[in-house]
Amino acid sequence: MPMPYLFSVVAIMSLLLGTARAKTPDDPSIGLRPIEFTEYDLENGLHVILHENHEAPVIASYVLYHVGSKNEQADRTGFAHFFEHLMFEGSENIPRGGIDKLVSSAGGNLNASTSFDQTDYYINLPSNQLKLALWIESERMMHGKVEKTGVETQREVVKEERRRNYDNRPYGTLFENLAAMVFKGTPYAWTPIGSLEYIDQASIEEFREFYKKNYVPNNATLSIAGDFKTDELKKLIADYFGPIPKGDPILRPEFSLPPQTTPETRTVEKENTPLPATLHAWHAARKADPDRYPLDLLTNIMAVGNSSRLYRRLVDQEQVALGVAAFPYLLEEGGVVGVLATGNQGVAIEKLDRLIEEEIEKVRKEGVTEEEFQKALNQQSSDAASSYGTMGSRARELAAFHVFFGDAHLINTDLARYLAVKREDLQRVANKYFAPDGLNTLHYPVAAKAEQPEPAAADNPTK
Amino acid sequence: MKSYLTLTLLVLIAIAPVVRADLDRSKKPEAGPAPQASFPAYKEYTLENGLKVFIVESDRQPTVTLRLLVRSGSAFDGSKPGLDDLMTSLLDRGTKDRSATEFARQLDFVGASLNAGVNSDATSVSTTGLTKFGEQILDLFSDAVLRPTFPADELAKEKVKALSELAADKKEPSALGARLRKALLFGAHPYGASASEESVKSIGPADVAAFHRAYFLPNNATLAVVGDVKAEEVLARVKAAFRDWKPGELPKSDWPAFPKQSGATVYLIDRPGSVQSNILVAQLGVPRDNPMVPELNVLSSALGGGSSGRLFQNLREQHGWTYGAYASFGFQKTGGIFSSGAEVRNPVTDLAIAEILKEVNRIRSEPIPENELALQRDYSVGNYLLSLESPERTAERVQEIDLYNLPKDFYRTYARRLSSVTSAQALELAKKYLSTSDVAIIVVGDASQIKSKLEKFGKVHVYDTDLKPMPDAVAK
Repeated sequence: MPMPYLFSVVAIMSLLLGTARAKTPDDPSIGLRPIEFTEYDLENGLHVILHENHEAPVIASYVLYHVGSKNEQADRTGFAHFFEHLMFEGSENIPRGGIDKLVSSAGGNLNASTSFDQTDYYINLPSNQLKLALWIESERMMHGKVEKTGVETQREVVKEERRRNYDNRPYGTLFENLAAMVFKGTPYAWTPIGSLEYIDQASIEEFREFYKKNYVPNNATLSIAGDFKTDELKKLIADYFGPIPKGDPILRPEFSLPPQTTPETRTVEKENTPLPATLHAWHAARKADPDRYPLDLLTNIMAVGNSSRLYRRLVDQEQVALGVAAFPYLLEEGGVVGVLATGNQGVAIEKLDRLIEEEIEKVRKEGVTEEEFQKALNQQSSDAASSYGTMGSRARELAAFHVFFGDAHLINTDLARYLAVKREDLQRVANKYFAPDGLNTLHYPVAAKAEQPEPAAADNPTK
Repeated sequence: MKSYLTLTLLVLIAIAPVVRADLDRSKKPEAGPAPQASFPAYKEYTLENGLKVFIVESDRQPTVTLRLLVRSGSAFDGSKPGLDDLMTSLLDRGTKDRSATEFARQLDFVGASLNAGVNSDATSVSTTGLTKFGEQILDLFSDAVLRPTFPADELAKEKVKALSELAADKKEPSALGARLRKALLFGAHPYGASASEESVKSIGPADVAAFHRAYFLPNNATLAVVGDVKAEEVLARVKAAFRDWKPGELPKSDWPAFPKQSGATVYLIDRPGSVQSNILVAQLGVPRDNPMVPELNVLSSALGGGSSGRLFQNLREQHGWTYGAYASFGFQKTGGIFSSGAEVRNPVTDLAIAEILKEVNRIRSEPIPENELALQRDYSVGNYLLSLESPERTAERVQEIDLYNLPKDFYRTYARRLSSVTSAQALELAKKYLSTSDVAIIVVGDASQIKSKLEKFGKVHVYDTDLKPMPDAVAK
């Protein structure tokens, strides 16, 4: 119940992970109401998804650009995220600093985030201000402006963001170190916040080139949910976004995680690590792989709730951990599945490791019980039922399902895919992914000695 | 040839976007008439034992949320700070009918979880789950809040975790700053207290049981039910579940006054290795039932409420010193805090403090220009309207009105109040409630890098991360 500390570790994880778990509805037995929407392409390639809903006088605008840190070069890490900051500077028709002011004075709020595979921008407004969102987002796509003052200021802001969320915070570099180990040799090896040194090196010409290449309608999805009339909005979208020229065809990095044949351990000693923490991680499936369904259910059984296996063993019975978490984090070109335990004071990290290993071994050997399986399905149903309460969440998930699964209808049908999983599938994926040879272990011991803050960073930084 | 051309043209017309010539991209589009920010409907009942029940019906999702708000919080911990926290962490760790293990098994099985929140003024316990499991969820929820048994072994486990959390908080800059801030501003008043190793170790099963018995009373609580429910049906179930809960008399409390802040003093918590300084410029604020809360919210929004606030614009957008800079009132039942802050890189710590003080001073000496104030009013009203989308938030607000004895129509009139704040009003409030001379300047950071630059703001007191004063010689 009140677990301020554990929750802060979990909050860090969720910050790093962004929207890791695509959750969804549509099972008549729990009474989900289908989310209706219209989708189409403009001639310039912009994909549009519209969910009309008049329950509250609000609209949520969401634009997803299919470009993230995996599109970066290894000597320009942090570029996509830095660029996201620049996209708040202004445009040919909106003066520097104007975007924030326009949205604030319209009674709305806005933000953006960058992760490995995507960069997204959202604006929430009272519904009478719908056109403002269209204007701002179309200006951002058509007339983005990158100038010296903005670059210099945002360079410093991004460095402070990095210090705040990663370097000055206990376990702040956890995901960064994880990515460097698990995704070694691929563009996922660095995280979206990137490295301070590269942020200084990027030139204005590089930003302009990046904009021209990636911020084009044929690389974007515009998703709007809320209080509007679809027919009228379609006309407005044609007016605002129709004239934006189509960009060159998009070339996306395609790669696979190289197979891992030996386990690896890394230890990160930081002066301000308060409690021992260990993370066990393995390569996992790509985001669109059907294995994501049994993997989600399996990690529920391992660590969601006080009856979960790792909680029972490490927190309740052995009392060595303050908290545990398990997560699949599946990206477009490959994924990771991890188990994190934060130890109580004075607990040896090896003890945490041994208990995690035993529980992993056990589920590989024995699979899960029928009761556990039903519980995991109920947890997934409950998640699905509570995931789409706001127009903002609907706009976002519709776009994500379209871009990464090629099917926005999953917002209504994804839960059915969980419900179609067989109990044996959980043991199958446990054996497939939790292989001892593919184990990556990351230790954050409580270090006595001082250490320099390390370079580099993590996922889903918000503006 | 001609027909081919015509055909091409026809195809082009058919697929080309219809571009209206009158779209002027150089100007911001006109907004339609603003929608009303009308507070959603809810139903209110009082059970025979005094428990107030608020029901917000919303069928957007097939879920139901239950939230019990007890009008006593950690301010009632007495000589054992951390008591309320430990008590609530044990509510689902053994009840009259269920062991901790059995409770977890049943609650997890229906895909729900129990969450608790403790602050100085109140204790909340809540759960959300599928409507189809509504009966089981209500049964488990009422069992946890009404019939916990506080087994000694479960308490022992929670104490180990609580001690680890305390250790963790000593490395977390924001936790360190918040802890010192309340100790400084509230002094010996219970709002100033925080759990310590000693207090947590001193808590026994009898203490948690006594706290629960004393404060978890139907006449000291409200229950909100939100979601895909029919009020009459769910009310009958709630009545049955809470029927045996007996009202009682609340213990009397007698609390000391807050210390008087005079002069500006710097409190530096030395956290070696910090690559940023966490700055809080803090002073006493006002209680939640202050009649000017809507106007004060617009004022603090202008100073530091979001990305258009002065602190953000100055420290981030002009200077690039921080990822964000904000100011806000923290309203509590019998007092409050006003605090401005930012996390900045070490070398600009003093410059950032000076700019924060400058902005606070400016807002209390010059009227806010009308266009800026209009932006802040509209920002506040619009974001309030957006927040009404959440039925859970509506229920929390209704419970908040009860907790703080606010006028019944507080939220019905809130948007109107926000939208009518004048520049003169804002200035008067700023003069009355904001100070730059009597403030605690709290900095969490690496003393060896920043201490000498802080002396210009006032006497510098240095603390270690246990919040024990350090002799001057130690922190150079």
